[in-house]
This record gives sequence, C-alpha cells and structure tokens, in this order.
Amino acid sequence: QLTPSSFLRIGQLSNVDLNEDIHELETELPRQRPNEIPHNEKLLSLKYESLDYDNSENQLFLEEERRINHAAFRTVEIKRWVICAMIGILTGLVACFIDIVVENLAGLKYRVVKDNIDKFTAKGGLSFSLLLWATLNASVVMVGSVIVAFIEPVAAGSGIPQIKCYLNGVKIPHVVRLKTLVIKVCGVILSVVGGLAVGKEGPMIHSGAVIAAGISQGRSTSLKRDFKIFEYFRRDTEKRDFVSAGAAAGVSAAFGAPVGGVLFSLEEGASFWNQFLTWRIFFASMISTFTLNSVLSVYHGNAWDLSSPGLINFGRFDSEKMGYTIQEIPIFIFMGVVGGILGALFNALNYWLTMFRIRYIHRPCLQVVEAMLVAAVTATVGFVMIYCSRDCQPIQGSSVAYPLQLFCADGEYNSMATAFFNTPEKSVVNLFHDPPGSYNPMTLGMFTLMYFFLACWTYGLTVSAGVFIPSLLIGAAWGRLFGISLSYLTKGSIWADPGKYALMGAAAQLGGIVRMTLSLTVIMMEATGNVTYGFPIMLVLMTAKIVGDYFVEGLYDMHIQLQSVPFLHWEAPVTSHSLTAREVMSTPVTCLRRIERVGTVVDILSDTSSNHNGFPVVESNPDTTQVAGLRGLILRSQLIVLLKHKVFVERANLSLVQRRLKLKDFRDAYPRFPPIQSIHVSQDERKCMIDLSEFMNPSPYTVPQEASLPRVFKLFRALGLRHLVVVDNRNEVVGMVTRKDLARYRLGKEGLEELSLAQT
Amino acid sequence: ALEAAEELAEELWGAGLPGDLPELEPECRSLLAAFAKGSAALTDCLGRRARPVRLCQGCHGHYRRLLAQYGSIARAVGNSSESHNCAKSILTSDRLQIVVTISEFFNETWEAANCANCLKNNSEGLSNSTEEFLDLFNKSLTCFEHNLQGRTDYLSPNNYTEVCKNCNETYTKLNDLYNDLQRMNRQGGESGHSAHLCIDVEDAMNITRKLWSRTFNCSVPCSDTVPVIAVSSFILFLPIVFYLSSFLHSKQKKRILILPKRIQSNASLVNIQEKYS
Repeated sequence: QLTPSSFLRIGQLSNVDLNEDIHELETELPRQRPNEIPHNEKLLSLKYESLDYDNSENQLFLEEERRINHAAFRTVEIKRWVICAMIGILTGLVACFIDIVVENLAGLKYRVVKDNIDKFTAKGGLSFSLLLWATLNASVVMVGSVIVAFIEPVAAGSGIPQIKCYLNGVKIPHVVRLKTLVIKVCGVILSVVGGLAVGKEGPMIHSGAVIAAGISQGRSTSLKRDFKIFEYFRRDTEKRDFVSAGAAAGVSAAFGAPVGGVLFSLEEGASFWNQFLTWRIFFASMISTFTLNSVLSVYHGNAWDLSSPGLINFGRFDSEKMGYTIQEIPIFIFMGVVGGILGALFNALNYWLTMFRIRYIHRPCLQVVEAMLVAAVTATVGFVMIYCSRDCQPIQGSSVAYPLQLFCADGEYNSMATAFFNTPEKSVVNLFHDPPGSYNPMTLGMFTLMYFFLACWTYGLTVSAGVFIPSLLIGAAWGRLFGISLSYLTKGSIWADPGKYALMGAAAQLGGIVRMTLSLTVIMMEATGNVTYGFPIMLVLMTAKIVGDYFVEGLYDMHIQLQSVPFLHWEAPVTSHSLTAREVMSTPVTCLRRIERVGTVVDILSDTSSNHNGFPVVESNPDTTQVAGLRGLILRSQLIVLLKHKVFVERANLSLVQRRLKLKDFRDAYPRFPPIQSIHVSQDERKCMIDLSEFMNPSPYTVPQEASLPRVFKLFRALGLRHLVVVDNRNEVVGMVTRKDLARYRLGKEGLEELSLAQT
Repeated sequence: ALEAAEELAEELWGAGLPGDLPELEPECRSLLAAFAKGSAALTDCLGRRARPVRLCQGCHGHYRRLLAQYGSIARAVGNSSESHNCAKSILTSDRLQIVVTISEFFNETWEAANCANCLKNNSEGLSNSTEEFLDLFNKSLTCFEHNLQGRTDYLSPNNYTEVCKNCNETYTKLNDLYNDLQRMNRQGGESGHSAHLCIDVEDAMNITRKLWSRTFNCSVPCSDTVPVIAVSSFILFLPIVFYLSSFLHSKQKKRILILPKRIQSNASLVNIQEKYS
C-alpha cells in the first residue's frame, strides 16, 4: 500500500495536526506552490547557519602553521590570557555602568512618584499619581522597546538562549555585534527603570559574550576600526572559546559567582572543553567580579572594602537562625516540588503567549505598543495592590528605600510597597532579610500571584531583560509565605526564620523555570556566601527539575525551539538507531570540480533556491556527467574570497606580479563575507578556470552511507562540523549531512518526530 | 556586715600584709572607686529615663564623666614601676576584666541610642536642632493637653476634632522638622554616621505620631477610590483591546515550507511509520 506519494507525506509527518489538506496539495505539486503554514514549534528555520568550528586544513593553513615556531605559539598563548583579562575587566565595567545608571534613574523615578503620592494622599486625587506612575513607566519602556524593536531585535530577551545557540554552533545573525551590546545595555537599563518585572542579570551574560567576541577579534566591523591585533583569533573556533569566557564573566559579574559562571559556560554552552580553557575562563570570571567589586566599592564610598561582588547581592546568610537542621530537608524537597510545578506552569503559559506573539505581534510597532501596555499595567497592578493593602509596618531606620505611607498611620509604611515600589533586586533582598513579621501572609500571597502573571507576561516582550530576578522574586515571596505558615502550624517552634525559606523558594522557582542544575546550585551558593546551603539548594533544584521536566521543558530550550533554531543536543534521540546516513543526508549534492569554470561557480553561488555553504570538490573529469571521487571540501566564503581576488588560472599565467593569496585575505573578510551579488564577474572572466586544489580542505570528514544516525550525530557534534560528506565505497559523493539534517529529528511525545524546514 | 568585712580586707591590704602579694596602689584604688561610682550613677540615670526615653538629654553628663574616668584608668601610670601601672592591674590582670566589660556595655548602649546625633560636637549639651525639636514637641504636647482639658470622656474614640483642628499647625511643624532632621542626617550619614536619629527624638516623634493618628485619629487621608478604580480599570482594559484587535486584524505570519532534497528509501519510511502507527 506504500505509494510514492504516501512516502513523501510520511517524510513530512512533523506538522501532522492542522494542515492535512495542504499536505495533499503539496505532495501532488511539490514545487509549484510554496506551502504556507502558521508558525509552530516543529520547524527549522533556514535563517540560521552553522559556525565553522572545524578548521579548513588547506595548503595555506598548513603553510602558515608550519611557519609559526614554538616561541610564536607561546606568544599566542599569552595573548589568550591577555584577552581573557580584558574580557573580565570590560564585562565588570559594563556591569558597573548598568548598576549605577539603574540605581540613579530608578531612584529618581521612585522619588518623583513618592513625592507625588505623598502630596495627593493628603489632598485627594490619587488617580493622578497612578497616571503619573503608569505614564512614566510606559514612556521609559517605550524608548527601551523602540531601540530593540527597530534597531536590533536580537537584543530582545535575556540573550541566554541566543548565547546557548551560539556556543552550540548556530550562527544567530548579529548576536555578537557591538551594536547589539549597546542596544542591550541601554535596553536593560530602560526596562528595569521602566518598572517591568525583569532583572538585569540575564543580559549581562549576553553582554559578556559580545565583549568577548569583540575583543578577541581586535576590531569592530560596526565601527569600521581594525586595530591589527589578535589576527590569529579571527575564526570561529577561537572566537567560540572567548565567547564562552565572556558568558562566564557575565554570570560572574551578575551574581558575584565566578565558579558558577565557569560552570554555567560548561553546562549551558560548551561543547568543547579542556582544562586550559577552563582555567582561562575561570581567570576571566574572577577578574570580572573583582573589577565590579572594586569599582562599586569606590562608587559607594568605601574603597578597598570589596563588599559588593555582584549586581545582585543576596546579603549575608551566616547568622545562627539561618542554619538548617536535618528535619527540614524533606520540607525543602517539598518546596522543590512546588517550584517545579509552578515553573512548569510559568513555562506553559509563556509558551502560549510566545506562540501568539510570533504569529500575530510580529510588526515592530505592535511590539512597542505591547511593551508599553505591559509597563503601564505593571504600574497599575502595583498601585492597586498598594492602594488596597492595609498591611502597615513601623519604619525602622532606613531599611526601606522608598517608604510609602499612603493610608498608614504616621511613622508607618505600607509593606506591600516594599515589594512593588522598588526595583526587583531590592525586593528580593528584602524578602530574604527582613525580620519575621515584616509582611503579613495576605500581602505575600497577593504579591506572588500578581507577580507570577506579570513576570510570565513580560518575558518574551521586545525589550532586553532577564528572567532570573523575577523568578527569584516569585520564589522568595511564596517561600517566605511558606515559612510563615510553617511557623504558624508548628506554633512558632524552631523553624522561625522565614528568610531561609524565602531563599529555598527562590531557588526552587528559578530551577523550575530555567532547569539549570549544577551551575545554578553553585551560583546560588556563591551569591549567599554560605557553602552549607549547597546541599539543600542542590536537592531543591534537582526536585524542581525532575518535577518540571515531567510537564514541559525549560524556558530557554522552549524559546530556542520556538525560534526554529537547529539546536543539537548532547546525544542523538534515543530511538534513532534505525536511521542511517542514507536517509538523513540531503541529495543530490552540488559538487565542484577541482578545476572549475568561473561561470559555473558564480551560477551555483547565485542560485537562490539552493543556498549552500559547503561544496564537495571532486576530480576534474570534464567528459563525464557522473559524480567522481571526492577530493576535498570548499566553503562558500572561500569561493567568494577567491572570486573577489580573481584567482583564476589564466590570470596567474598572464601577470607575473600577482600576489599569492594568503590566509590573511580570508581572515580579513571574516566574519562578514560579502554576498555573491556584490562581486562583479565579467563575461570574459566567466570563461576562465579556477583551481581550487590549493584552497579546498583536502581531508574533509566523511561517513559511509550505512552509518547510523547516532554515529553521524556523535561525529558531527563532537567535532563541531558544519558539513559531513556521505560517500559510497568508491569514494564518490552521494550526499551531504548538515546541522539541519540532524536537528530535524527530535524526540517528541509520541516517539521520534521530524521537523520540517521553513523559510522565515 | 559585708561592707565592714570589705573595709577590713582593704585595710589589711593597705597595711601591706604579705609583701609578695600583688596589691593595688592607692591612686589606682581611688580611680577604680570613682569609676564604680560613676557607672552606678549612669546606670541609675539610664534606668530612670528609660520610659519615655530621655537618655541622651538626661545622662550625657554622666556618660561623659564615666568616659573620662575610664580614660584616666587606661592612661594612669602608677608611681612604682612600669609593670605595676593601674591600667594593667585594673584592666587586664584577670579573666573577667569587669571594668572593660562595663565600659563596653555603656559605650554600646550609647552607640545604639545614637545619642551623639543630638548632642553638640563636643558632646556638651544638646545641639540646637534637638533643642528646637524638643521645644516644639513640648509645645504640641501642651496643645494636646490644653485641648483635651475640658473633656471628661478621655477614652471615647471619636470627637477629637477640636484637637485635630487646633494642634494641626504645631504637629505639622514638628513632623516637618523631624523629616528635615532625618533627611539631613541621611545626607551626612554617608560620611560614617548611622542613619538613625538619636533615640530621644525618635521616641518623642513616635509618641506624638501615635497619639495623633491612632488615638486622636487626626490624619484621615482622602481616599478617592472611585477615580482610582476607573483609571486602573481603563488601563487594565487596554491590553485586552490590543490583543483582540491584533488577533483579529493582524495578518498571521505564515512560514513557507521547503522540501528537502532527500532519498526516500522504503526501509526507513517503514521504520518511521511503524513508530507512528
């Protein structure tokens, strides 16, 4: 019963659900009519390309490597350390800048609104204060959103998914550019000042990565400046190592957690590790937190004190009552379960929202309007909660930054306002450290509920902002509530301090949302400065991850999937052994001959329907149409450089003075190679021949057709390949495996699923 | 009887009974006695002025004297040899070191009360701003009393309107002054001082505020619930409109599927199909 058309349909099984009729059509007329479907999670976008982590080992490369002697390699090694130090310092400085600007601008905003509220509380007309607050928020967020939406959309969100993809080997356009960094930094300042339910910690990781990518190249294409240094590092392999160092430095600056940063790079990003790289990354992280620490301590007026290692500081957790006993472990584990469930709920809600946003809110102006609305609603919700709250607490010294009296008696402040009328970082620390009794359970319950929905709604807006702090805040609020109710239940026995439960709740909630394990444990441990918390935090995060994974996947993975990124996980899907390279590969392959006519090359490169990046080079056999034996592999970027420099056989014979092409010419063009349209090739030149043997990679990785998918996957993932040629037993090219061919197999709910390719 | 025994012992020591026993020089003993008297007086003062808090106003003289006495012990050098100076024999020759402990206790209490904040820089007498504040405070208390005098039913919850009306001016002044003091203190606070005002001022303000807004119920803020509800429901309504309109009017983004170039071999498809069926 297996007709060819049914085969084709089975090949497309991924989007089984809605579009049965379109499928019918498509199978009959496969090429005539482009098949349009609504965006869904089971797509792979053509927009994303792979990075070349594998060096093209052509003759030029070998010559250069041979020329470098032992001493020169030592210099390269020293340069690597210098770059890492610079990454650390600059990341720390950027973090300082963000912190100081946010502190001042947010302080200004809250003072203005507070004065206004105080004025109108006495005279009446609080609705004006509400309007003022909402307008201020909305206008600040509007600026933040406009720069992201119109100038650099890739700066939206926390940037962690993007960096994860980059380190996985996917080239996200614009992700490590200077422009992105500027927009990211300004955007995050504006969105935090705008009072959104966001944090500035996640974007630090992206910022660190951009800084690393920029410094290691010794030039900025955005500024059109080339400092003529670090030219050796101008390739994807080297850049990747520095980017992972930058990400680690970012984490380290954000949380004051250098070890956590290194582990974050290891857990979330790294595909390729060795101990020298780890040591260098650790160096960069330490430098970064130290820079932040010393600059901030000078700024706060107590130089050499070094008491603020991160953007967020959880405060000291070393007092007597913050200790825990063995009886509390089961309670912590239970909190982990709660965190997992709430995290899964958060992710599921955010999934639907993101899907809606991708499908309907894709125009920049709509995105800006949405962000403004969220900002206004956040202010309104905060105001209404404060307005309705009757929870008054006496002012104790200056522990509260902006005490709002509102309807409280003189000398008291509204305790809902400490949670809502403050930057989220400060609220988190208040929840951890305010003495027992500072919040009543009703306040905490309402706050958790409201903030949960606000944070969920906010994540995925077109503003640059992170999800770490809101998650911590939600978790700290319900954790504190949990602690208070525990001491009610036990009639105030040993478990007195709710701050400890707030910390565990925060860990559980964050673990439930982002599903990080090792690195998050260490980050939390370092941020609290208390190693003995390691054990309960680990248990909480484990439970949260197990429970959460039962429902939906982590927030970052979810967003990567929704962006249709061809992301390769650690292993091939478990049930994929039955597939072989033959079924996985794309075929037929566009091959080039070793000595090829320029016209053919130009035509192949200009063909928009097959936008290939790697071309197997086969033996020149002009008379046969048959595919001949594989000789090497050449990349689009290399061909473009060759065409640009007109390295043609005929010209080489004509002009004696012609300079030989060096590896430097390829590096100078990296990473933005000009498109083929910008290269002019005249009719005469089209008839010339081009000799690829010197430039192609003569030893590309190949697999036989019978290799199983997991085997191909392992080779591809472990070596960071971009193209893997499939050959038959006569070494003739039969197919090509690329990232998208492998990434389209995914383990879904009903077993192995296949994703389809789509133009986005 | 106990005192008599003590005196006897002192006399015996003074007579220089066994020469090899370490003894306290007479100068040192008088210093110690003075310190003991001073600390007793300070304790007495602090205890008496605990409620309502008048520590800094009343006890700063005692405290200053005690500090001086402690200082003279710490500095004093006995007339015999270097090794027998008073500081050593009083302060550090036993495990308990009670003099140090006592002095530390007073210092800590003084710090916690933040008395330095409402004293003059040389800590002689109250600072001008504090004097002003206390004047105003007394004035408002007098005002409260004055306006409540004619009334018999002190405890009835309502009907304090007269107090509220007549004392509003003084109270507002007091409150403003307090806020000013606090703000000044916070600005100066970055140069090492803590952010609290001294306990006398804080307590006085607390008492007044409690009387004003709890007992007399004078500060009734205007609550304008209706406009707030109107404005907030308007703002909360906007996103619904936005999402609905973008759902209805915005063109849904479509993705164009690309057919991969691939061999469709029978075996694999059978495999996949088996998995699905």
